[in-house]
Amino acid sequence: MSVHSSISIIVMLIASLAAGIDIGGSAAGAPLQPGEEPLGESAFLEAFIATRPPGPATSVVAHDVPGDGGRQIAISWTRSRDDGAGDDDVVGYDILRSTQPGRGYLLIDEVPPGVESYVDTTATDGTTYYYIVRAKDDMQTVDSEPSGPAASRANWFRTRRLNMFIILVLFFSFVLTYIAQARRGKELFVRRIPGLTAVEEAIGRATEMGKPVLYVPGIGEIDNIMTVASLSILTHVAKITARYESPLLVPTARAVVMSAAEEVVKEAYLSVGKPDAYNPDNIRYLSDAQFAFAAAVNGIMLRERPAANLYMGAFWAESLLLAETGFEAGAIQVAGTAMVSQLPFFITACDYTLIGEELYAASAYLSREPKLLGSLKGSDLGKAFVMVAIIVGVIMETAVAFGVAPLTAIADIFRNFFYVAGQ
Amino acid sequence: MRREIPLIITFVAGFVQLVDFFVPHPLVANAASELRQWSVIVIAASIVLGIGNLLRIHLFERIPRRTAGWPYSIVLLAGMFAMMITGLVWGVGEGTPFNYLFRHLKVHLDMTMFALLAFFIASAAYRAFRVRNWEATLLLLAAVIVMLGRVPLGSLLTRGLPTALQLPVVTEWIMNVPNMIGFRGIMMGAAMGVMAMGLRIILGIERAYLGGE
Amino acid sequence: MNEVSLWTGFWPFTPERFAIWVGAILTLCIYSFLYRDNPFYKFAEHLLVGVSAGYWALIYWNANIVGQLLVPVLRGGVLLPLVPGVLGLLMFTRFFPRFAWISRYAIAFYVGGYAGLAIPSYMQARVLAQVHAAMAPTVSITAALLLIGLICSLLYFFFSREHKGVLGGASRIGIWFLMVGFGASFGYTVMARVSLLIGRMQFLFRDWLGLIR
Repeated sequence: MSVHSSISIIVMLIASLAAGIDIGGSAAGAPLQPGEEPLGESAFLEAFIATRPPGPATSVVAHDVPGDGGRQIAISWTRSRDDGAGDDDVVGYDILRSTQPGRGYLLIDEVPPGVESYVDTTATDGTTYYYIVRAKDDMQTVDSEPSGPAASRANWFRTRRLNMFIILVLFFSFVLTYIAQARRGKELFVRRIPGLTAVEEAIGRATEMGKPVLYVPGIGEIDNIMTVASLSILTHVAKITARYESPLLVPTARAVVMSAAEEVVKEAYLSVGKPDAYNPDNIRYLSDAQFAFAAAVNGIMLRERPAANLYMGAFWAESLLLAETGFEAGAIQVAGTAMVSQLPFFITACDYTLIGEELYAASAYLSREPKLLGSLKGSDLGKAFVMVAIIVGVIMETAVAFGVAPLTAIADIFRNFFYVAGQ
Repeated sequence: MRREIPLIITFVAGFVQLVDFFVPHPLVANAASELRQWSVIVIAASIVLGIGNLLRIHLFERIPRRTAGWPYSIVLLAGMFAMMITGLVWGVGEGTPFNYLFRHLKVHLDMTMFALLAFFIASAAYRAFRVRNWEATLLLLAAVIVMLGRVPLGSLLTRGLPTALQLPVVTEWIMNVPNMIGFRGIMMGAAMGVMAMGLRIILGIERAYLGGE
Repeated sequence: MNEVSLWTGFWPFTPERFAIWVGAILTLCIYSFLYRDNPFYKFAEHLLVGVSAGYWALIYWNANIVGQLLVPVLRGGVLLPLVPGVLGLLMFTRFFPRFAWISRYAIAFYVGGYAGLAIPSYMQARVLAQVHAAMAPTVSITAALLLIGLICSLLYFFFSREHKGVLGGASRIGIWFLMVGFGASFGYTVMARVSLLIGRMQFLFRDWLGLIR
């Protein structure tokens, strides 16, 4: 305790005596009622506590944050004895940093009471730092012992994502193994997807009626994997319409999707030997704006009267605007999307709907290409893996809940293997 | 040139982002974030293609050839140029002519198109009533319960019943149990599809989007 | 929606009041679609497409081209954004059919990058986080339903076996869960769509006609 603070205690003590405050508590006054604080004592204690410096933070340790991109040093400490206990008057901690152990400490940040760790995100990689944690109450501060030296460095692997890395490598190997197998000529089975059988029937009917086929690849940008899947399906749809020589209308909400769709359709017409049947005017950009797009596609449905409407890709609220108008116009409609929120509307307004992953499976089913079938099989194995993991995890957690204590540790390890780390 | 270079570009662009997820080193992190910035610029240029397509169809085909409904093409072009010219000349901020047109033309038209859904959702529900198979019935039943459970009428109707059978309680159960399971199942399945497709794109196995097989 | 009424009478004709009239007429034009396709709807539709095209062109230009490319290059002297600038310009080769294939470079770059981003983010949020959440002790009927429902709906998305026998039964239960989920989502959306309609009616009857307050 410094001389200065000792003097201030004495001065406060004298002052309170002089003011006639009853230091002895209730002894001289009326008997205390339950719940009543002894007035004098608390005033004295408060005065005393305010002038006594807080206990220092102890065991300050600093170390590089592992598996990060550098510039970060983690500091941890044990909080002051007056933080949450003792005088309980700590108002926070200052974090100070220096490149020399003895001097030159500069404030870098402050944290509230109760906190026992801090991550310095402003370190220069390779520089050695020392840290001091300064406990503060209303009036005074006390420095901790400095931490040992610590230096940050950039790492080449985010260790907290090791589990995800393992799972991803596993998944990739499932997919690639089956693709390789399929390419070597192994027969791979794909279950029937009713919606896709309906696509060909719908196009056939449009041809019989002499009406166009409408293919809406969603309003997602081309970076949306659903749009990519849709373009893959478009390849097959375009081949069928080319063979039947039915006009294929492809309105798009994104200019890049329009460009890609032009390429896809043109190549498809070329591949079945009908390059002259390709009409570039049928592949149109309408609008990036959701409802402008919907308004314009509705216009196409009512004026050009397609007899088959195919909606494949990413859709938002416009899904029902399109599907209801198409229904009213009397077209056969097949939809496919992985947008969970729009599936209910497609299901009620369309004849067939590809749900979720069926959209991604569609191109494999339609083309029967070994690479696509193999990939589908690989992701099936991924699902099997996930299902087994869930069942095993649930069995272990249930056993633990019913009191099988020895399983606790292993159940935790297993469950945490699927934990998702932010950074 | 036509096939190989795009596939190499795809591989490099995709691989950097994938690696960035696992490698925190600034070398990778900076490269990945720079490439993400680039995407924004690359894609912005495409709007010119969109405008080009609209001009080709409306200005150079429908209007000169007087195809059916050609006067509407004039409306379309007028709207487009009005926005572009006002935006380029006076800027796009608060109180500009661009903003005036945006608020009073585009917003009203958009909102009304969106609000058409109130009618469409009713007609879709009516249709679901007439479909007679078990799956559609399940869908309809859940829809009716949740719809009623979310309005005061629902709790009035079932006030006398035991708590577990009151509509708001049943609604909450449906939202939290079957609804959640269904969505989780779709989400997990579809995510596997996305991951497999993503891998195929990066490795150049999936190339339909570039045109051709 | 506007909570405060914009109703200020019919006269004099200020720009704001004129705008309300325009908004109201366009709203009615769109609603006329509910009867059938007609010239009023066609007018509103083409206007919306045109205005939207102009609007997006300006937004892309300001935010992406000016903000991300021109300002950094011309003011900041940063040259790197020129690379995506050139890639973006390659998109314009689509105007010349002989060179249209060069635009694939830009598309390849854009798609590749997002494929690389999508793989880990889908795995993280839509697979692993869901698996982690699903691993709960099964000590109640609801918890058992959650497990059975999830496994069955995942089995529905199993493609490499014919759905018959046990797998057929399980996937059928899976589709029931999906249907109840879809119904719930449908019912949940109804009120949101009706409130959109109410918003439009308020605009017409309150802000435009001043019939309600």
